[in-house]
Amino acid sequence: MRKQLLITAAIIGLAVSAMPAGPSWAVDPSRIENAAKNPNDWLMYRGSYDNWQYSPLDQINTANVKDLKVAWTHTPGRATRGLQSMPLVADGVLYYSGSYSRLFALDAATGELIWSYIPELNEDLIAQQTHSPYNRGVALGHGNVYVGTVDGRLIAVDMKTGAPVWDTKLVDSEKLTVGFTGAPIVVKDKVIIGAQGGEWPWRGPIFGVDAKTGKKVWEFFTVAGTEEAMKTWGNESWRTGGGGGWMPGTYNVAKNLVYWGTGNPAPLYDWAGPDWKTEGPRPGTNLYTSSVIALNPDTGELVSYFQELPHDAWDFDSAVGEFLRIERDGETYIVHPNKGGYVYVYDEMLNFKRAWPLVKNINFIEGVDEKGNLIGRRDMREGKHTNLCPAIAGGISWNTGTYSPRTGYYYKVGNEWCMDLEIVKTTPILEPMAQLNIGANFTFTDPEGGKAYGHVDARDPITGELAWRIDFPEPPLASLLSTGGDLLFVPDARGVLRAYDARNGAELWSQNNGLGHNGGIISYAVGGKQYISVAVGWGSLVGDAYPDLFGEPYKSMATDQGWLVTFTLPD
Amino acid sequence: MAATLARSGMIALLAAGLAFPAAAGHLDVPNLFASVCGFCHEDGGRHAGKGPQLMNTERSDDFIRKRIREGKRGRMPAFGRMFSDEDIDEIIAYIRALKPREQASTE
Repeated sequence: MRKQLLITAAIIGLAVSAMPAGPSWAVDPSRIENAAKNPNDWLMYRGSYDNWQYSPLDQINTANVKDLKVAWTHTPGRATRGLQSMPLVADGVLYYSGSYSRLFALDAATGELIWSYIPELNEDLIAQQTHSPYNRGVALGHGNVYVGTVDGRLIAVDMKTGAPVWDTKLVDSEKLTVGFTGAPIVVKDKVIIGAQGGEWPWRGPIFGVDAKTGKKVWEFFTVAGTEEAMKTWGNESWRTGGGGGWMPGTYNVAKNLVYWGTGNPAPLYDWAGPDWKTEGPRPGTNLYTSSVIALNPDTGELVSYFQELPHDAWDFDSAVGEFLRIERDGETYIVHPNKGGYVYVYDEMLNFKRAWPLVKNINFIEGVDEKGNLIGRRDMREGKHTNLCPAIAGGISWNTGTYSPRTGYYYKVGNEWCMDLEIVKTTPILEPMAQLNIGANFTFTDPEGGKAYGHVDARDPITGELAWRIDFPEPPLASLLSTGGDLLFVPDARGVLRAYDARNGAELWSQNNGLGHNGGIISYAVGGKQYISVAVGWGSLVGDAYPDLFGEPYKSMATDQGWLVTFTLPD
Repeated sequence: MAATLARSGMIALLAAGLAFPAAAGHLDVPNLFASVCGFCHEDGGRHAGKGPQLMNTERSDDFIRKRIREGKRGRMPAFGRMFSDEDIDEIIAYIRALKPREQASTE
């Protein structure tokens, strides 16, 4: 099968095709559905609906990557909490968002500004938000660029001019505190975006919005979104349940299904311990938190789901991960990492196939059985507990891994860290505005027998079999990229962008970008030249823990700077 | 409809007295740390985390009061709408009284 994949890749992988045609300003649904077949563009978050985060371009390859040089840089300004977004490219124009949802369209070959759009946001609200004001990306389609805002809006601007087209308020962020930080996706005639949630006492909806008019068409509550689900929240705890869908999912064209990962329930930790089915702050399994769900994009109706962590008591979202679509031996698999450190494998209807651990230090469960049930749950009662692994930041964080059809490997960052905690009975705070509901005091700790660290693994995405691993003194927090040139790019936490041979992990090139990486990386081509563009900037909530955990260079690392750095080969 | 449901839910919770951590008419600051502040100020403020350690801070009361009210952009939310002057005084008193866990448990 791997040979078949290689042949397919060779056919669609192509070398860079010189495409002199200027911007067409039209990214229609069929073009998005076929995104993987046009390597010159990078049309959506994680590259295509297959979510491979892979570029077939091979002009930059293992032989010449040593010559890679900076082509241009651009700074979005006001880079509070760095630059966490994923740039997109269509027809030689690069679109990206900075903090405060500041939008830029640049000539993708030179970095020259075409237009910018700086939305006016509720600054008083932003000053009161925790998970703010970063933005993790935009969507393209129907002649527009779409971006969410931390004050609860979804905005469309004209791809050609940057002029606002529509601006729809979807969430009462002034009351609920949460808004949007994740990228939207375009599915046919809809823009789909998920709200923040998790530790916030609300119901974390996902929205389907008409792409042309901005009218809200549907809203699916990840907390008690159906009658069935409402029964899984004792004492009406669904009213403050958390959830959310704060990172983008993807779309299965053939099945007409939108896959989305959902956030954890609130409070994060549950004083009822093993009695969670009938006692505590949220008795029951708490559907559809910490789950993967499949929605009908036309109606928002739930078609299928799998709850990865029934009654999540550890803050291990399913919101973090990509949905890799992998075909093997006549079967189609959907591969989805969970924040707890396990990678889940499903069929297209989200029927569980298996789960495998990416991370070594996991003790919140002993394992996952052949039906997807958690074995040996560590349900902790009110009081002190030590050495819970992974720590609250997860064995897997929100940036995306990458899959190369050439090597057959799935490349993904694993985090090795633990924590001590004291679980406390808390109550949701809703007035005058919603507040975090953690439910514990905690302290990060090193894993037993060593220091906290991270690693990039090359594994079989279906079986989890390890091919090779690269250790890092601190977990990289940026997205990875693999390419048709057999390169794996890892933007690390200290600020060094590293290129490896994707086949064996040999380091081939590195460039110090001067500041930690915490966002996206893509590849595209303009005028017959391949480019690599990476977000540079530090300051996510996970990264905020690094100064205390690891000391320098994080103690002095700026969290209010960011820039996009784009590389190419010399002429 | 959905928004109405969410809002009516909050009203129900408020009616049930689930709005604010309070103990004997005072702000329950330890509980507040377990729900909100401890996300960044670990172990009830005894340890650094995303934010600085608060135990043994050399910052003045005025500095802490201003920081709680106004926050610090990109680092700490502003809680001026959440807390009255009296609430903030109680938070400062809690911070001043913080001791290491071992010491606290032997008292």
